[in-house]
Amino acid sequence: MNFDLTEEQQLIQGSVARFIKDNYALDTRQQLVASATGYSDTYWSMMAELGWLGLPFAEENGGFGGNQVDTMVLMEQFGKGLVLEPYLASVVMGGGALKRASDALKEAVLPAVIDGTCKLCLGYAEPQSRFDLHDVATTAAADGGNFIISGHKSMVLHGGSASRIVISARTSGERTDVNGISLFLVEAEADGIQRESFQTVDGLRAAEITFKDVRVPAKNLIGELDAGYAILRAVANDAILALAAEAVGAMEMLYKDTVAYTQERVQFDHPLADFQVLQHRMVDMFMEYEQCKSLLFRATLETVQNSDELAQRSIHALKHLVGRAGIFIGENAVQLHGGMGMAEELRVGHYFKRILVIDSQFGNADYHLQRFAI
Amino acid sequence: MNIEMSASDLAFRDDVRSFLKDNVCKPGEDYGRGRLDWFAKAAAKGGWDVPKWPQAFGGPGWTPSQHYIWEQETARASLPWDLPFGVGMVAPIIMGYGNAEQQARFLPDIRARKVNWCQGYSEPGAGSDLASLKTRAELSADGSHYVVNGQKTWTTAGHIADWMFLLVRTDDSGRKQEGITFLLLPMKQSGIEVEPIITLGGAHSVNSVFLTDVKVPVADRIGEEGKGWTYAKGLLQHERTGLAGISRSLVALEGLKAKAASVVCGDGNLMDDPEFRGKVATLEIDLLATEFTELRSLASAQAGAAPGPESSILKLKGTEIQQRIQKLTVEAGGIYAAAWGGNQVGPGFARAGMAGYLASRAYTIYGGASEVQRDVIAKNVLGIKRSST
Repeated sequence: MNFDLTEEQQLIQGSVARFIKDNYALDTRQQLVASATGYSDTYWSMMAELGWLGLPFAEENGGFGGNQVDTMVLMEQFGKGLVLEPYLASVVMGGGALKRASDALKEAVLPAVIDGTCKLCLGYAEPQSRFDLHDVATTAAADGGNFIISGHKSMVLHGGSASRIVISARTSGERTDVNGISLFLVEAEADGIQRESFQTVDGLRAAEITFKDVRVPAKNLIGELDAGYAILRAVANDAILALAAEAVGAMEMLYKDTVAYTQERVQFDHPLADFQVLQHRMVDMFMEYEQCKSLLFRATLETVQNSDELAQRSIHALKHLVGRAGIFIGENAVQLHGGMGMAEELRVGHYFKRILVIDSQFGNADYHLQRFAI
Repeated sequence: MNIEMSASDLAFRDDVRSFLKDNVCKPGEDYGRGRLDWFAKAAAKGGWDVPKWPQAFGGPGWTPSQHYIWEQETARASLPWDLPFGVGMVAPIIMGYGNAEQQARFLPDIRARKVNWCQGYSEPGAGSDLASLKTRAELSADGSHYVVNGQKTWTTAGHIADWMFLLVRTDDSGRKQEGITFLLLPMKQSGIEVEPIITLGGAHSVNSVFLTDVKVPVADRIGEEGKGWTYAKGLLQHERTGLAGISRSLVALEGLKAKAASVVCGDGNLMDDPEFRGKVATLEIDLLATEFTELRSLASAQAGAAPGPESSILKLKGTEIQQRIQKLTVEAGGIYAAAWGGNQVGPGFARAGMAGYLASRAYTIYGGASEVQRDVIAKNVLGIKRSST
């Protein structure tokens, strides 16, 4: 039993940390937030050159052959840096689905995902589905060698700048059936697709995407027909682990920034950190951060090493705690910064907003508590 | 990163399991010969009667993960009763700071569980602020003994103890942490009066101990005069594992679920109630997190590193979880949780549940109240220096 990083993982950690230090000052980030795509294509190319975009893919597909621990190491640093590029959307989510596709489809698409020329996104949520992955009203009807897709996908992360879209669609059964869901890879510019892209509260981008009689060749089916749910579930689990790692990175910055700020800010002739009520609040923030980190290790290592059933339970536990503890830490970081906590010029508010968005993705704290309790 | 047990750890776990299976201490036996026999057999395994003692004093020299396995396995077994004050608390101080004569005189009887000890730290005016203690020890004119006068309180097992280890003041001219001396004294002697304190659950486990002109030979002083505070603090650092009681809480949580499932509620049972089930789930999630916090702490100890920041939260989180299990047990008792006198009524667990809950309120008070623990984390882990207020 040990929790040490391998030499390779330490190298990744160091190189991501350096990238953030050199490129991700808050004002630079906020300029990118205001740009057309909402992130930097230059940074995206750098990530490709550094090999990060190939991290979770098999070596035979040109990837690094990494597992969820490697992604965790990278995402924790991204969380500290408030990184904007569509890594999660393209590599973990879209790429995560493609990893489970036929060899032919992997060979056709993954090299471009790994070199950064193809950006993927994953459309899994719909206006009525809330957090249920199996609530799919979008339909795909077989028509000769094609499928014809119609429907509406909600809050598709970086859906506006993606060149290809992975979506879930119903090929049989009723709207909320677990069976009868299939996954497809769709060209973002195909006829019948409309994308409405917008900023999310954390400065990232999402899109509402509608499909009207969009023709997709049958070879773009990911996995078996009607059996897409298992893939979607596995991709969602990997995305939850990655988001939780990102959130843990953000939480560390939040509690440490708060400890630093309260030692500088003087009121009533004392640094704020002199006051015991604030000290104890910060201790609680620190403890919740450590507990999240412990569950992150647990769920990630169980996913890599143990049975799916055990890991699934720990993933529910993790996503619950990341929501509960993350929002506690974020709200208190703002509170203890006083008026300055409300100012956009400080980074605490940006970490807080990122954590709020993370809670809303792939099921919030309440949703996963209910799943855990079953 | 790797969470799998090594082959040697798995073999050790099997060894522990078969030992516990072959050496069950049956209820009723545990107050008589069976208890001492059990410890003798554990000693014969090579120090299993004193898992945390150093090898030089007969301990088994286990790795941190072996300690964790022992804790996990024994949480489900019925071990004979064992007070922490002898083997766990005074023995490490005698080993660390006592002389060879004291080690030879005290340690064998402590190890054999022949002598019961109690701890004389707290006083009416010295609780969380322990260094404010006022019990005085005056050295006799000929320098052969101390004369002790004062009052100790919250003395667990004071009424059944044979010996007490205590902190006394021998000098009040300097800082209050200085001038404190560590003494050992027999409880059955004139000048010592023990009065029970009945706590909220109705139990008698703690006492007030009044000391009037009690003579303590200088030979029963540990280490140097005036250094007792340092020795007592050393003991706190000795406690590295088992602070959080995680394994016992995991067993207790299973018990809570079974109890709640036995309570009829509407057409089903209490575990069908979404509110109650949600509380149990939240508790379990915090417990799963704390279990890994402990494993992280153990792994760094295993690697020989100083305890990381995560170690500091174990006492706080562990005791809070124990209290929440007790609280939900009371909730599960429902209307019958209130029954106290007379014959048993309602669910069998309800009365013990209430007593257990009330007793559990002490968990976040003794051994450093949770508020003091937070002060310590703010200072030592977060690095917040308090300017003088």
